[in-house]
Amino acid sequence: MGVWFGLAIKNLLRRPTRSILTILGVTIAIAVLYSLLQFQVNYEKGLKKELGALGAHVMVVPKGCPYEAATIVLHGGKWPRYMDEAVLEKVKSVPGIAQTAGIIMDAILDFEKNENRIFMGIDEDYPKIRGNWHVQGSWFTGAKDEIILGENVAKLEGLKVGDTYYLKEKDCSFKVIGILAATHSQDDGFYFLHRKTLQKVFDLPEKLVVILVKLADIEQADKVVAKIRTMDGNLNVFPLSELLSTVGNLVQSTNIFVLAIVFIAIAISAVGVLNTILMAVYERTKEIGMMKAVGASRSDIFKLIWLETLVVCTTGGLFGVGLALAFAKVIESFVRSALPYASRSEALIGLSLSDSLACVLFSVVLGLIAGWYPACHAASVKPMEAIRTE
Amino acid sequence: MSVILQAEKLCRYYRRGSETVKALQELDLTLHKGQIISIVGRSGSGKTTLLNQVGCLDTPTSGRLIIAGTDVTALKEKELEHFRRNHIGFIFQLFYLIPTINVLENVELPLVFARRHNRQKVLEVLELVGLAGKEKLLPKQLSGGDMQRVAIARALINNPKILLADEPTGRLEKEEKAPIMDLFQQLTKEGLAIIIATHDLAQARYGERILELKDGRIIAEHSPETIVRLRG
Repeated sequence: MGVWFGLAIKNLLRRPTRSILTILGVTIAIAVLYSLLQFQVNYEKGLKKELGALGAHVMVVPKGCPYEAATIVLHGGKWPRYMDEAVLEKVKSVPGIAQTAGIIMDAILDFEKNENRIFMGIDEDYPKIRGNWHVQGSWFTGAKDEIILGENVAKLEGLKVGDTYYLKEKDCSFKVIGILAATHSQDDGFYFLHRKTLQKVFDLPEKLVVILVKLADIEQADKVVAKIRTMDGNLNVFPLSELLSTVGNLVQSTNIFVLAIVFIAIAISAVGVLNTILMAVYERTKEIGMMKAVGASRSDIFKLIWLETLVVCTTGGLFGVGLALAFAKVIESFVRSALPYASRSEALIGLSLSDSLACVLFSVVLGLIAGWYPACHAASVKPMEAIRTE
Repeated sequence: MSVILQAEKLCRYYRRGSETVKALQELDLTLHKGQIISIVGRSGSGKTTLLNQVGCLDTPTSGRLIIAGTDVTALKEKELEHFRRNHIGFIFQLFYLIPTINVLENVELPLVFARRHNRQKVLEVLELVGLAGKEKLLPKQLSGGDMQRVAIARALINNPKILLADEPTGRLEKEEKAPIMDLFQQLTKEGLAIIIATHDLAQARYGERILELKDGRIIAEHSPETIVRLRG
């Protein structure tokens, strides 16, 4: 087999530019396929992880697009839809609810510096829902000038417990009373004020953006959701599992479309491979005739040409996986800028042995298919061609 | 000397549009072990068709062809492949060496196809044709004469009974031709039978018998002496 393999490689090296370009075509197609496979898996995984870390089972938001609201809750931002704080008390009174947390949020955007500072107004209920919260320093004591910083924010601002944070846009100074230990979630990038403080500083008296609800029994989600919905018609109430499934379906639909385009790209690269190998067969007709004259059987010639195609496609497959991994960061930043909900705690494109293997196997199958016709054509060359064409 | 090849009323006709081309017509030929036969004639006289027939590369329209005691006209394609591999060696005017592999690998190729790896045998044959020491060279590093020697070594590697050479010196420089023909004569001493198709009468005189073909028929048989006179 080694002799055949060596012969196949040497044959491909006769026209190195043509072979390299063909391999490049397969490489790009497989790189896109690998990225898409990884994206499918990791996007959902990241979303699940973030929603899980949120600790809530149900979200209550003012009327509007619930998915936009979910983005705000997950990633922070400015969303000019509010509900009255009184709603929180009503929600708390619904049977079956273990914990609630009312949140108000605002952001200060600086387009020149491309900065986005997100301020979250919370109270002592919020850490109870989040679960993995550990504040170094102290919790809000009730004073109106206290701030807790996410770990990344503290590093970015160069602040520690006891320092003063000056919010220029509102001309307010805050005492840093605590720094949140790393949660590896969006919380690490937030500025936390007490809810009452934020409502005052940002002039949003008695307003809330979202109420997170943790249920006593997840099986009772439908009942609780129905109860809250009948309570106030101006609210959007949705279980996060529903959000996950809806977003999953949305992404799935997009993926099917993208996958169709990827398969067209793969089909084009397969035609490219077929064309390259067929050209090589035409160029070597006399040589193939000679090989048959000196003892090669039909299956020998078929095997040789098929092997050449397999070398092209398998090399393209391996390089494709490598290319996808090498440019993972670039592809990720593009995807994140274009898609909502893309988790920042989970890499969208990473090394996966099963996906790598699937892509390489796919490229092998591609080679088997693309090489079939040229190999059949070569095997059917009559040995006397070697003499006749002189 | 025993007969290695016997052709009886060998015919090869084929269609070209509405016309039937009679490439070989009732050709009789006997070749003995250790004998060289030269086939001469103009282009289209049937030289290549005859080589295709006796080389088992093509099947005749009618007639019988017996090589080493086997009626090859009765063999199926797979059997012909096997028969050709073990009994016939081919040499082509354009050598058809694979440019990306070295001398040794080119000569070894028929053994690869026959699944009979024998590096020692390859080295022996290379020495026989005068290429010892050039095993690692690529074809492009060789002279025309040496390239044809590689092709001869490749043809000999499976111990054929008959060597078929189509214009073996057609692409060689004048001074390279005689050593190749001398090599053919040397090979016949081992019992190898050789058929050379050529339009070069100077090379044809190396044949013990020189057959002149026209329109697929043998129209004359010359001796080396008479062919020298014809050239003059």
